[in-house]
Amino acid sequence: MEIGLNHYLVLSTILFAIGLVGVMRRKNLLLLFFATEILLNAVNIAFAAISHYYGDLTGQMFAFFVIAIAASEVAVGLGLLIVWYKRHSSIDLDALTTMKG
Amino acid sequence: MEKYLYIALFAPLVSSLFSALFTATPKKLFTGIIASVLIFTSFVASTILLLHILKGGEPIHVTLMTWMATGDLYIPFGFVVDQISVTMMMVVTLVSTIVHIYSIGYMDHDKGFNRFFAWLSAFVFSMMILVMSDNYAGLFIGWEGVGLCSWGLIGFWYHKEIATWASNEAFIMNRIADLGMLIGIFLVYWNTGTLQYDEAFALMPSLDSATLTWIGIFLFIGAMGKSAQFPLHTWLADAMEGPTPVSALIHAATMVTAGVYLVVRSNELYSLIPNVGLFIASLGAFVALFAASMALVNRDMKRIIAYSTLSQLGYMFAAAGLGAYWVALFHLMAHAFFKALLFLGAGNVMHAMHDELDPFKMGGLKKVMKWTWIMMTIASLALAGIFPFAGFFSKDTILEAAFAEHHFVIYGVLLFTAGLTAFYSFRLVALIFHGEERYKIFGIHPHEAYRFMLIAMSPLLILAMIAGVFQEPFFAMVEEILSAHEYHIHSHTTLWIMLVGTQLFVALAILYAYKKYATWSSVPDGTSPIENSFFYKLLFNQYYIPYFYETYIVKPYREASELFWTKVDLKIVDATVDGIAGIVYGTGEKTRQMQSGNLSTMLKWMVAGLVGLLFLAVAFGLAARYSDEIIVFLSALGV
Amino acid sequence: MLDHILSLLIFFPALAALFGFMIQKESMRAYGISVAAIEFALSLWLWFAFDGNVAGMQFMENLPLVPSFGINYILGVDGISLFIIILAAFFTMIGIASLTDTPNVKNMIITLLFLQMTMVGVFAALDAIIFYIFWELSLVPMLYIIGAWGGPLRIYASIKFFLYTFAGSLVMLVGMLFMAYFYYQATGVWSFAILDWYRLILPESLQLWLFAAFFIGFAIKVPMFPFHTWLPYAHGQAPTIGSVILAAILLKMGTYAFIRFSLPMFPDAAAFFMVPIAIIAIIMIVYTAMVAYAQKDVKQVVAYSSISHMGVIILGTFALNVEGISGSIFLMIAHGVVSGALFLLVGVIYDRRHTKMMSEFGGLAHVMPRYATIFGVMLMASVGMPLTINFVGEFLSLLGFYQQSHILTLLAGTAIIVGAIYMLAAYKKMFFGEVTKEENKNLKDVNKREWVALLPLAVITIWLGIYPNPVLAPIDNSVKSVVQLMHNKATTELAKDRIPNLVKPKVVIIEKTIIEEVH
Repeated sequence: MEIGLNHYLVLSTILFAIGLVGVMRRKNLLLLFFATEILLNAVNIAFAAISHYYGDLTGQMFAFFVIAIAASEVAVGLGLLIVWYKRHSSIDLDALTTMKG
Repeated sequence: MEKYLYIALFAPLVSSLFSALFTATPKKLFTGIIASVLIFTSFVASTILLLHILKGGEPIHVTLMTWMATGDLYIPFGFVVDQISVTMMMVVTLVSTIVHIYSIGYMDHDKGFNRFFAWLSAFVFSMMILVMSDNYAGLFIGWEGVGLCSWGLIGFWYHKEIATWASNEAFIMNRIADLGMLIGIFLVYWNTGTLQYDEAFALMPSLDSATLTWIGIFLFIGAMGKSAQFPLHTWLADAMEGPTPVSALIHAATMVTAGVYLVVRSNELYSLIPNVGLFIASLGAFVALFAASMALVNRDMKRIIAYSTLSQLGYMFAAAGLGAYWVALFHLMAHAFFKALLFLGAGNVMHAMHDELDPFKMGGLKKVMKWTWIMMTIASLALAGIFPFAGFFSKDTILEAAFAEHHFVIYGVLLFTAGLTAFYSFRLVALIFHGEERYKIFGIHPHEAYRFMLIAMSPLLILAMIAGVFQEPFFAMVEEILSAHEYHIHSHTTLWIMLVGTQLFVALAILYAYKKYATWSSVPDGTSPIENSFFYKLLFNQYYIPYFYETYIVKPYREASELFWTKVDLKIVDATVDGIAGIVYGTGEKTRQMQSGNLSTMLKWMVAGLVGLLFLAVAFGLAARYSDEIIVFLSALGV
Repeated sequence: MLDHILSLLIFFPALAALFGFMIQKESMRAYGISVAAIEFALSLWLWFAFDGNVAGMQFMENLPLVPSFGINYILGVDGISLFIIILAAFFTMIGIASLTDTPNVKNMIITLLFLQMTMVGVFAALDAIIFYIFWELSLVPMLYIIGAWGGPLRIYASIKFFLYTFAGSLVMLVGMLFMAYFYYQATGVWSFAILDWYRLILPESLQLWLFAAFFIGFAIKVPMFPFHTWLPYAHGQAPTIGSVILAAILLKMGTYAFIRFSLPMFPDAAAFFMVPIAIIAIIMIVYTAMVAYAQKDVKQVVAYSSISHMGVIILGTFALNVEGISGSIFLMIAHGVVSGALFLLVGVIYDRRHTKMMSEFGGLAHVMPRYATIFGVMLMASVGMPLTINFVGEFLSLLGFYQQSHILTLLAGTAIIVGAIYMLAAYKKMFFGEVTKEENKNLKDVNKREWVALLPLAVITIWLGIYPNPVLAPIDNSVKSVVQLMHNKATTELAKDRIPNLVKPKVVIIEKTIIEEVH
């Protein structure tokens, strides 16, 4: 059986779903970052696969952009996370409610 | 001649403004004197104008300036002195002059002396505008102006609750009628395009009779208020709370006759609509009887005279309604003289009795108040219509007119009322001046009024006696514009029988009153059988009409107002507005919970939103793709 | 200078208000009075230079702001707006002059001057967007006056005032945007100029919707039943000066806007909605008069009486003929003068006793005879006594409407009865009877500063009641052109029938004969 576009898309969808559940369920900020990475990479897979399918490089270019932005986001995010941890000695999401309306 | 017109008109205004300067200062005798002199000036100017008209001069017509002009509407301050208005001017200025002089004595000890003259002269000015105006709008100025002055003068002793209540009642009740008048004015304007009397009357014959009837009815509603005709009559008796000179001037001689003046002035209109005229005459006859019946048992001197005024106004309307405009006007004039005299005499009695009003508590006053007794007796004779006093010539002519026009029911009612009039007038005279001196129980020491007050009253006394001689010249003067015709009963025998019969009937009523009351000795205390009879109670309570108004109009109005405010305005209208605002606030308050600040929760909302949007996108996409099928499906369902 | 007198009238008080921040507190009152006096003198000059025989706009100014969307700074006055502008200047002047021991008097005067800018701006604007800007801006100083100097419920009252009127105005703004869009569709050019909009003849169905949109904005401002409930709170809580300006000028914006926008732009809709609006007006007249009768607080009596009188103004406006509309504009001025004076008078007694409850008074005529007299004059004016200013307006408004409907005028005419009832009852409670309360026995009569404010108002009340012509004639000219415009624009039978044609039929006959001769 040859691995075609559909397989990649199914993989992407499964990864996206896993990431989405992670985003919703995780209470640990660090694990939330992991889940976000999974979401982004699920999209990356779809971009790359569709790009290959159409023979158009734009999708792959976009995937690179996403990787770059994800990396920088994680860098900034982890920095903030460490600062937060130093202040409150917890990275539990439920304790993080200073924006309550 | 125009000069005299302006003097006659504006002298009272000057007088009023001058006195008004001193309203907040203590009594100054000169305000009374200057006011009287200025009103007398107005009287002299009116006399000169009267002589001019009598000599056959042209009516004087002046236009002072524009008042309102917009669109097609043009209302000037225009004044006219013709036969009708000059008669009224004479009556108004003569009685006012006398009342002004009289008031200097009557209001002697009152701390509102200056204010009184300001109001009184303002009244004269308003009345002059009313009678001299050459258009309906100007008439309305005077109409409202006299209403205002009446309000100020009835409530002159404003510390008395009942006086201020009566003044408000008079004002509001007149306002009800004024609305009718205003509507009448609107009708005149939109149908003739003008409010000038001469122009409007010239166009009226070309209007259809339904319109004319409506105009006539609405204008007459205005007249009903000012002249206190049933059912708007209750204010007049209550208005007796004002100082007595006010009652003499406003509520007997001048203001209350304004309604009659209006009908006489609009005679060209009313002669086109005899049906309305007949209604006016019937109402007049009814009011004559109705008011006289209430006067029979009343125990308040001034109210008795007030009811008698009401009754006489009924006579005037009966005459005017039957088309005998000149008779109405003549009776108006004669009535002004003897009724003002009667009121001023009552004022003397009140002064002597320290404001006691119940004639049963007086008696035997003729010994101390000889002149007042003479004056009031002659005024009562004139009122009863005894030959040769003024009332005989005017009132009998009304009876003749009713007879000659073949309205025998009206004639009968008016004749019967004449007997009642004689009875209650002399009941009053007998109770006050004859019999035992019942006032002694109450420790009162009566005294005659100031001499100058009596002298001031004397012209009225003379006029009450001799006004009959003016009948011929008066007729000659007004017949030019009032399409007047003398009423001749064809058979001389009938005429004589009527005259003598009426006189006998009236004389019998007088004798009966004397017999019954001249020897009265006790003050009734409400225990005698007659005082507990049904008719006595009915009449004494004025047919329960004031009670009816209070219970079924005033009180519901007050309660409805309260209800509208506390229930409708606050609980419904405002609560709805606040409710809408509350919903917006409440929604905000509820949805605020979403902003818990918890990142996890927010992410869940985000996912939910994402799913929702995806669902919508898919749904719209499918709908767009299968739109044709959906339309077919929907149309099959009959949408 | 005369070319830009309207801009001057608008922005001079605003500039003066800015400079006011630099003035010392002690001299602020003198500064405020002199600024307001100059402004009033300018407005009188405007009247003097105004040509009463010209029906159209005068002193026009035009400055492009956003030409691509046709938004321009256009100003102009005609007989309809001229006198309200003068009235605004006049009331600001006597309002500042009569300020008593107000805390923060400096802020108050600056606010009033700013308010004056917005008031003059509303009445001088001939561009819908400029109109809208001033219309909304006028809320801000009023909000501040009620909220900062008001009574115990001031926050509630000021927020209610602001949000209620603001909500209505937004609907009006939507209407304006649609109107401009329709103008664009019809002509291909964007324009917000009111005079351009006058030329546009819209189909009746569109007119009805646009009329309704504008109506909501105006009706809340007037305020018309059932949108009136913000007014008693605003008046009840506002300081005297706030109530005076609110009653005298701000309410007139609504009725003025009806004549400026609704009637000439949507004549068919105006004719269509005439009867329902007249019924609302009658409810306003009778119902609020009854509510006024039930009040215990004298200021609320005057507040509700304002609504009642505004009902007569609305009725006159929707008479759709010259008599009625002229009358209603005159009544706007009259009501401004009289209700302004009544609020000042209530302020006089409030300053002395710090209460407005009528049950606290009684017998005041004994202790304050001058006060009682001037109150009596204003009372009688409010009741509509002839030879006072109110009568002219009421008479003409009712007369005008009588042409449209007999029975409705009869009902509306009860205004003269119910008005007398609540006013006389209030006067009786306050002034008549014996002095019962100890505190009332030594009240001071009207002082000089109060005379300065009240006497001119009394003089105007009588003067314009006897000789209304200087004001009525220019109004009449402008109104005639408006009515003729409406008649010409009307498309439905109903509107043609209800709006009179002022061009006399004679001319038509001559034209016919000429045409026949040509044939």
